[in-house]
Amino acid sequence: MSLFSWLRPSRPGLDEHQQARLQQLPAAPAVLGETTLRDQRWVVLDLETSGLNLNRDQVLSIGAVVIEDGAVDFSQQFERTLQRAQTKLSPSVLIHGLGPSAIAAGCDPAEALLDFMAFVGDSPLLAFHAPFDQHMLGRALKDSLGYRLAHPFLDVADLAPLLCPQAHIREAGLDDWIAHFNLQVGERHHASADALATAELMLILFSRARQQGLDSPAALQQRLNQWKRRKQAPSF
Amino acid sequence: MRHDNDKKTAVMVMSKADAFTQAGKTAVLQNIHGTLQFLQRFPPFNQMENAHLAFLVEQCQLRFYGPGESILKPSAGPVEHFYIVKQGRVVGERPDSAETTFEITTGECFPLAALLGERATRTEHKAAEDTFCLQLNKPAFIKLFALSGPFRDFSLRGVSSLLDQVNQQVQQKAVENLGTQYSLNTRLGELAMRHPVTCSPLTPLREAVTLMHEQQVGSIVVVDEHKTPLGIFTLRDLRHVVADGISDFTQAIERHMTQAPFFLSPDHSAFDAAIAMTERHIAHVCLVKDRRLCGVVSERDLFSLQRVDLVHLARTIRNAPRVENLVAIRGEIGQLVERMLAHGASSTQITQIITLLNDHTVCRVIELTLAEKGDPGVPFSWLCFGSEGRREQTLHTDQDNGILFDARDAAHAAEIRGLLLPLAQQINQSLALCGFTLCKGNIMAGNPELCLSRAEWARRFAAFIREATPENLLKSSIYFDLRVVWGDEQGCEQLRQGLLEQVADNRLFQRMMAENALRQRPPVGRFRDFVLTRKGADKATLDLKVQGLTPFVDGARLLALANGIAANNTLERLQQLVDKEVIERLDGAAYEEAYHFIQQTRMQQHQLQTRENQPYSNRVDPDSLNHLDRRILRESLRQAQRLQSSLALRYQL
Repeated sequence: MSLFSWLRPSRPGLDEHQQARLQQLPAAPAVLGETTLRDQRWVVLDLETSGLNLNRDQVLSIGAVVIEDGAVDFSQQFERTLQRAQTKLSPSVLIHGLGPSAIAAGCDPAEALLDFMAFVGDSPLLAFHAPFDQHMLGRALKDSLGYRLAHPFLDVADLAPLLCPQAHIREAGLDDWIAHFNLQVGERHHASADALATAELMLILFSRARQQGLDSPAALQQRLNQWKRRKQAPSF
Repeated sequence: MRHDNDKKTAVMVMSKADAFTQAGKTAVLQNIHGTLQFLQRFPPFNQMENAHLAFLVEQCQLRFYGPGESILKPSAGPVEHFYIVKQGRVVGERPDSAETTFEITTGECFPLAALLGERATRTEHKAAEDTFCLQLNKPAFIKLFALSGPFRDFSLRGVSSLLDQVNQQVQQKAVENLGTQYSLNTRLGELAMRHPVTCSPLTPLREAVTLMHEQQVGSIVVVDEHKTPLGIFTLRDLRHVVADGISDFTQAIERHMTQAPFFLSPDHSAFDAAIAMTERHIAHVCLVKDRRLCGVVSERDLFSLQRVDLVHLARTIRNAPRVENLVAIRGEIGQLVERMLAHGASSTQITQIITLLNDHTVCRVIELTLAEKGDPGVPFSWLCFGSEGRREQTLHTDQDNGILFDARDAAHAAEIRGLLLPLAQQINQSLALCGFTLCKGNIMAGNPELCLSRAEWARRFAAFIREATPENLLKSSIYFDLRVVWGDEQGCEQLRQGLLEQVADNRLFQRMMAENALRQRPPVGRFRDFVLTRKGADKATLDLKVQGLTPFVDGARLLALANGIAANNTLERLQQLVDKEVIERLDGAAYEEAYHFIQQTRMQQHQLQTRENQPYSNRVDPDSLNHLDRRILRESLRQAQRLQSSLALRYQL
């Protein structure tokens, strides 16, 4: 226990059952493995939040799909709207479409997050602009469960230009990539639909990665790190 | 939801009200719902219950395949999954060639036959571009198969079920104009519901007629102790008996019956019976299975149900007292065709019937002309060429005819020609009155060049083959489909045999014909859609006859002539080419189906034009067809393309 723990607002009490579930969550893998891309189970995540402020805004809904055995498995999908007591109606409602009534009808955040982490298991996570999702999810887990998120994340927004250098779209958003590959998306800015679109993009990217001789999560991670270093290094 | 520009666009497209109303829905998972909606745009998914469709989607995996990536191959063993193309394009390649045999695009599924047959696919399925497929595992496929009727029907019939759906649509459309629905494809066994009335050959006439009277039937079949039919006695025969003044009604019926009555098996179709009755001028057909009588179908059985008075029409034509009567009757043929489409007749059945009725008309015109002008006393045969020769006429038809006669020498031939020409010209004119448009190219019996003796015809044909000029090639594509409509058929058969021998021996001529057959390219591009021609301000269209049917007709003619096949009809030629192993069975079936479909589309178009009082045209705008028709038309034209590439390969063009 930190010395300053008393300064924080008290952590919402988890009941016994929830405590038990928290204990049973599998440990997160430290690094990405050497299995083939096809053998690795991945969870593709998208969050809708009350805004873009990393410290103030809250996770409102979680959508996730699983890539297993090299395919999006429709029988494994995650979709939850979180109940938030004091959300102000902000302009972001116009993007995610989660009105006060939907938020009020959502489920207990602790339950939802426990369900989600059980769904994730020990799989690495993929998201478009992953640092944002990683941070928001990490904060929500800490606040609601006192859980420290340690799962590896890969950022699809980095993987896409890395693996498709010929696409020539700089600083591209998910919409740009969706348009580039002519993907059919059900309903943008719905956490699940966005997660599926991201997953479809990932299937294409895995295929491109294999063509480029990158056939393990570790190899992918390594190449990504090199690429990011090169991008940040001053060019002469 | 993280890029500012994302945000702005979203704010612009979505009004506040929309955003709030959309917020509440959580019942069905968004992605399941989205995929469900996607599938509901395509058959058979659009006919399936929502619960079954949801089951399908929940069990699916979504896979991606890059260009050239193999999805299924023959060497991979029995197929374990059912696939639906969500996006992209899948092509099929036979193991022995890199030639594309089919193309599967968004909303279509595969490989039904292999999956149901629990075997490997025969063709390798490859992605032609970035492709996403929904993949359903076999246990889930089987469960769905058990659960959903529409899915089961679709799977069992595969692509042919698509064709069936088209047929159903055709029928429905026509039925809207007519009322009842009744299929000419009905098994005769189902039509002949009553037990046939029979008697033994020694039954006295009076007893037999009493039996007919009691049972209220128009015929009695005379059978032996094994129930094998020996003869039939009908009301018409009774009329003869009475007219002949026979008063001894104790005579055995065998003395007055029609011997060896015509019969079909119960598995033949109503159409077969209708054709037989029309050809033979009979009103009753016995149904025989294993040599035992099992039913009788009468004209009334057929036509009281469907009111397609084919036999009546044929009989009226054959007995028309004057050309003017024929002109009047001809109008009824159009109505008949409409009714037949309504009753589910196929394009082959309809062309066959039109040809039959046209033949009757031609014969009657010749008979009437001979009666009017006097018989020249020289035997001759009336020939027809082109589509009439192939028995592939539609309502929209030209005259292509000629005369064949026997002569000792050139002088004798000229003398006979002098006798026959005025007659032939009169016949041409009368036929024109009956709706057979005069031939612009003057390919008509009244033309001295087409009223020839057998030796003259043989010389003419030999010249076509020897000097393969473009003009001669064009002529051979018309004349070499010759057939006798009226008169003795022997001379024509001898001509044909000579023709077949010369073509088989002349590889160069075959090659030129092949080149000719490649001139009309089916209007499908390499990438999935149609390549259309635009004439001035007209809409972009394609010509169903020239660009769709001609490749099949030309290809089949060439291969038939080169392989000694005497048949004229394109489908018969294809059939015999398969039997002779000149073309593969699978290919033959695909060509046949494709030809069929294009012809069917063309006829529907003609019917529509008639109804709307527009001039006949073979041009169609693919956009005016529904989704299903477009897809099948595209596939059909692709088959024409395949036939052409096989010719190019065969003749190294």
